[in-house]
Amino acid sequence: MAYFDNIKPKKGNIHIVKDRCKGCGFCVEYCPNNVLELSEEFNIKGYHPPYIKHEEDCIYCQLCETICPEFSIYVTLKEEEEEIEKSKS
Amino acid sequence: MKKRIGYFICHCGINIAGTVDVKRVSEDLASYPGIIHSEDYVYMCSDPGQSRMIEAIKEKKLDKVVIACCSPTLHETTFRNAARTAGINSFQCEIANVREQCSWVHKDKVKATEKAIKISKSVIERARFNESLEPISIPVTRRALVIGGGISGIQSALDLANSGYEVVLVERSPSIGGHMIQLSETFPTLDCSQCIMTPKMVEVSKHPKIKLLTYSEVQDISGYVGNFKVKILKKPTFVDPDKCTLCDECTTVCPVAVPNEFDLGLTRRRAIYIPFPQAIPATYTLDINHCPGLVPIACGKCADVCEPKAIDYDMKPEILEEEVGSIIVSTGFDLYGKDEMAEYGYGTYEDVLDGLQFERLCSASGPTMGKILRPSDHKEPKEVVFIQCVGSRDPEQHCAYCSKICCMYTAKHAMLYKHHVHDGQAYVFYIDIRSGGKGYEEFVQRAVEEDGVVYLRGKVSKIFEENGKIRVWGVDTLSGKDIEIKADMVVLAMAIRPSKGADELAKKLKIAMDKDGFLSEAHPKLRPVESVTSGMFLAGAAQAPKDIPEAVAQASGAAVKAVNILSQEKLYHAPTVAAVNSTLCTGCGMCVDVCPYEAVSLAEGKANVNEVLCEGCGTCMATCLRAAASVKNVTPQQVHNMIIASLEG
Repeated sequence: MAYFDNIKPKKGNIHIVKDRCKGCGFCVEYCPNNVLELSEEFNIKGYHPPYIKHEEDCIYCQLCETICPEFSIYVTLKEEEEEIEKSKS
Repeated sequence: MKKRIGYFICHCGINIAGTVDVKRVSEDLASYPGIIHSEDYVYMCSDPGQSRMIEAIKEKKLDKVVIACCSPTLHETTFRNAARTAGINSFQCEIANVREQCSWVHKDKVKATEKAIKISKSVIERARFNESLEPISIPVTRRALVIGGGISGIQSALDLANSGYEVVLVERSPSIGGHMIQLSETFPTLDCSQCIMTPKMVEVSKHPKIKLLTYSEVQDISGYVGNFKVKILKKPTFVDPDKCTLCDECTTVCPVAVPNEFDLGLTRRRAIYIPFPQAIPATYTLDINHCPGLVPIACGKCADVCEPKAIDYDMKPEILEEEVGSIIVSTGFDLYGKDEMAEYGYGTYEDVLDGLQFERLCSASGPTMGKILRPSDHKEPKEVVFIQCVGSRDPEQHCAYCSKICCMYTAKHAMLYKHHVHDGQAYVFYIDIRSGGKGYEEFVQRAVEEDGVVYLRGKVSKIFEENGKIRVWGVDTLSGKDIEIKADMVVLAMAIRPSKGADELAKKLKIAMDKDGFLSEAHPKLRPVESVTSGMFLAGAAQAPKDIPEAVAQASGAAVKAVNILSQEKLYHAPTVAAVNSTLCTGCGMCVDVCPYEAVSLAEGKANVNEVLCEGCGTCMATCLRAAASVKNVTPQQVHNMIIASLEG
């Protein structure tokens, strides 16, 4: 449906700093849209960091960022990044 | 004391006298035990007829009278009042129905006369043991409840409030306004719907006598006419309307976008939203079903940016209890949805719209600012097909009834389309044009003559998409030719259904519904705004499909009916209610289970009747194994005597 408006769902770009993660799984557990899942791989500390399973479902609520005890995940707003890209080019 | 009974039989012109030999009945009954006076008269209900009865009571010192005439639903009150005037208790007057139950349904005069005698005798037997009763008086709570905040509910609430009564107006959605606020222009004058609706909405919000509860639903109801107790669930909006300054910052940060109900999915809204700019109350609502989450607070961006701190994530649902004397139900309608109507590509093709969506496209404050554009590519449609009776007048598959307003709004749509797109062409497929109403026929003619709308009498057989066009196959039954139109847009005049959830509410209120789910009026002609439950009234499309003038008229009618109750010091309830003989009652509780009015309860091991709730239906009496329960003036003894009298002689 081509809606008659400019209201779009916000999209987040998730950045995971794998080596800081201690595999607590809070981000996976609390993500309202189940975007994340713990991976099979090991990080430098020997934990399983999360990976992005459904990136398109991320709505930039930043709960993972708030809840992460190790500051190892953060989200940026896609549209802002796109604008910056545009202004650069 | 010996009973002195008077008997009167009415001719009702030839209604009774044509089939029943009234003279013979009167003579026959003159010698019946206890009858002191027996006579026939041409119209007992006429003033001279009543006077004869009053004189006979006074002269012959009668203490009971039986009138053989039409149904007690018609003239029982007339004769009981006359009996009271004559100085006897009004419950000593009984009606023998010899018209509906005898003369009207028989042809053989001899047999009908015999039956009239038997009916009369059995009622005399009943009257013989009648007690003198006084109506039960009950106090009145002088406030009203209006359920539904569309045009009908608003009109009822304003009429009641302007008559000086407090009103509680309950609306399920975040704003009042109903469907009328979604409309663009209204037939037949083409005045802007919002422009005539918003002043009323503002009046509701500012009226000191109206307590407006939006985002609220009636949860439970108890009590009876004059004294209802209502439990209302107020859902949390998570926004304090007193603090909210409508700055709109919250919607700029909210990450969610979902289809907007107000624009019927033509636009989207955020999880925190105001339904439309003129919404009453003017505040935002946080839609918990689409918000990323409050436990724990997943996003919280709206509260972060809210400068006046109006957003409170800890708001809880509240249950409010209100006491009211009468209730007006104006729950309105919904259009047939895509679940019910899969034909004509509705819900499959983007450019197949329903009537309300087209209203939003025409609306000056709508998603396109009044430009008619196709939802698929936002281009102006050059050929538009309007189809009437989609789901209506189709007893085999959909609704048997006529949705009444579609003929008129389709003519309006076609006209508005031509006003917006001058070089466009509008086609209307119809079965019949029903344009009864002031200025309505002229309006349809104007669409045809001035705006060149092509009316095709026939049904559409198939709609399918091909090369960006919607191909409509139909037939013009007047010329007998097959028609194929390559349309850019199709608008369906969907059947009108009672609004979703109205059936559950009707069950809570104990209001009857008709076969289509609309609320039933007490009498189709003489009590069109009253429900069968006393103290509850109906307004608007909840009762049947109707246009705005009719809905407003009915709403005002319902308000006056409510005032009839609220303006009384006390209400009176018929005293022919059940009574329990406590020495016979064993407290088995069977009567409690069967009572349809929840009037019987057990107290200290015995059944106890709440006389105000009891309607005297007699179910408890029929159920009671020990004959402890009986309805006053319809006791088992009286019923037994009536049966004996009808079987003998």
